[in-house]
Amino acid sequence: MESARHILTSFEDALDNLRKDVLMMSSLASRSLENARKGLFERDEDWCNTVIADDEEIDALEIQIDSEGMEIMLRFHPFASDLRNVIAAMKTSVNLERASDQSVGIARRARKLIALPFMPATARIEPIFNLASSVFNDAMKSYADNDIELSRTIKLRDKELDELNRDFADNLTELMPQNPEHIRAFLELIFVARCLERIGDQAKNIAEDVIYAVSVKDIRHSNSAR
Amino acid sequence: MQISNEAPAKNTAEDRNPIGRPDFISVKDFNFFYGKKQALHEINMDIPERQVTALIGPSGCGKSTLLRNFNRMNELIDGVHHTGDIRILGKSIFDKGVEVISLRRSIGMVFQKSNPFPKSIYENVVFALRISGISKKSDLDECVERSLRGAALWNEVKDRLHESALGLSGGQMQRLCIARAIANRPKVLLMDEPCSALDPIATVKVEELIRELKQQFTIVIVTHNMQQATRCSDNTAFFYLGKLVEYADTQKIFSNPSEKQTEDYITGRFG
Repeated sequence: MESARHILTSFEDALDNLRKDVLMMSSLASRSLENARKGLFERDEDWCNTVIADDEEIDALEIQIDSEGMEIMLRFHPFASDLRNVIAAMKTSVNLERASDQSVGIARRARKLIALPFMPATARIEPIFNLASSVFNDAMKSYADNDIELSRTIKLRDKELDELNRDFADNLTELMPQNPEHIRAFLELIFVARCLERIGDQAKNIAEDVIYAVSVKDIRHSNSAR
Repeated sequence: MQISNEAPAKNTAEDRNPIGRPDFISVKDFNFFYGKKQALHEINMDIPERQVTALIGPSGCGKSTLLRNFNRMNELIDGVHHTGDIRILGKSIFDKGVEVISLRRSIGMVFQKSNPFPKSIYENVVFALRISGISKKSDLDECVERSLRGAALWNEVKDRLHESALGLSGGQMQRLCIARAIANRPKVLLMDEPCSALDPIATVKVEELIRELKQQFTIVIVTHNMQQATRCSDNTAFFYLGKLVEYADTQKIFSNPSEKQTEDYITGRFG
């Protein structure tokens, strides 16, 4: 339902700022994921280092969002949709911080891969990267637009990501005996895929919080997205 | 706009109080007029027994008018009239056979500003009993102790029962008024913003008391303090411009109201 603005402008401003900070954090987390991708596929250590350095800013935003959310609850005692939005913002920031940590994990693995000889099998992880990136960005789009229809697609896509990750790990494990010289690189790639799978989980958590904030339906730990 | 005049979900009310009657007070098609001005429009609601029901809404929405109808206090104002009915335990409070004094005896009321009589603490509590002709000391003593204990005031005043009530603190005075209101063992306790003039500690004590009192009384409270409604009440009715916009379980009203007007009001978007 479309709501009017709050009578108390300081409350309206505080809610706006909280939301803007979450969106800012999501932009940074999304950028980190893309930078990690560049670091991995372009074998560019600078991008990897950027991801690791940028994490500090994302961590700081998580703390700031927590503090803003606490202050809103303390000062304005939000009810109904306002309360749900504040809680969703605080929970989303936790998930964004964790997603960003996964990007850092990818960047660290990528640095190790860069130090090893190039391995064509690296390209096999690209579909997983694409899906994780798409799921994550759509989760944040659903947050930005309060689009619960988009949120509802995330859970299934996260399952798809889980399957891709499993298949990827199985395939690389099969390749290991024939390519013993690449075993270390294969292991790094399996860890990268695992980080991407975790980003899918964070996206799913964000989507579930959006659904709760907008429709008051708690779909966590249920089999259905509806 | 869809107006939901239904009683709070019966299962919820009954879960909380399986022996209570869900329509202890029943308001049916109730309209109320101050002269030509209509203050309440087609109110339908059932108030469950031994639960706390909060009436909320902006000033002038009719919540206090409805509260004052439950003990027919509005009849003290010239030119008022009503249509529809209010029943307590199935019996209309407007029946010709109903004596107003007797009705008010069975419905205690606590007001925004504590209004103890300029008498002793003891005499304040037994005032209604004396009017009813009860003068036996043991009966009066029993009533004073029971009422003051019920109002969580006994321990603070038991050694100065015969001192002036006007020497009590604001919070104590309000609890004395609650003791006075329950002295007659009423069926219903009406509270019109009972904490609005109290400091936070006194407010907490009265709110705690409200939760205790609902074990014995059906309580209807008018409040502008929405945190108070969430803390104290089981059911909440939101009024706007004399209409009952939404009436539901308090948790539902404050977490996920069905009506946009309710949401806009409780989230501070009215204006």
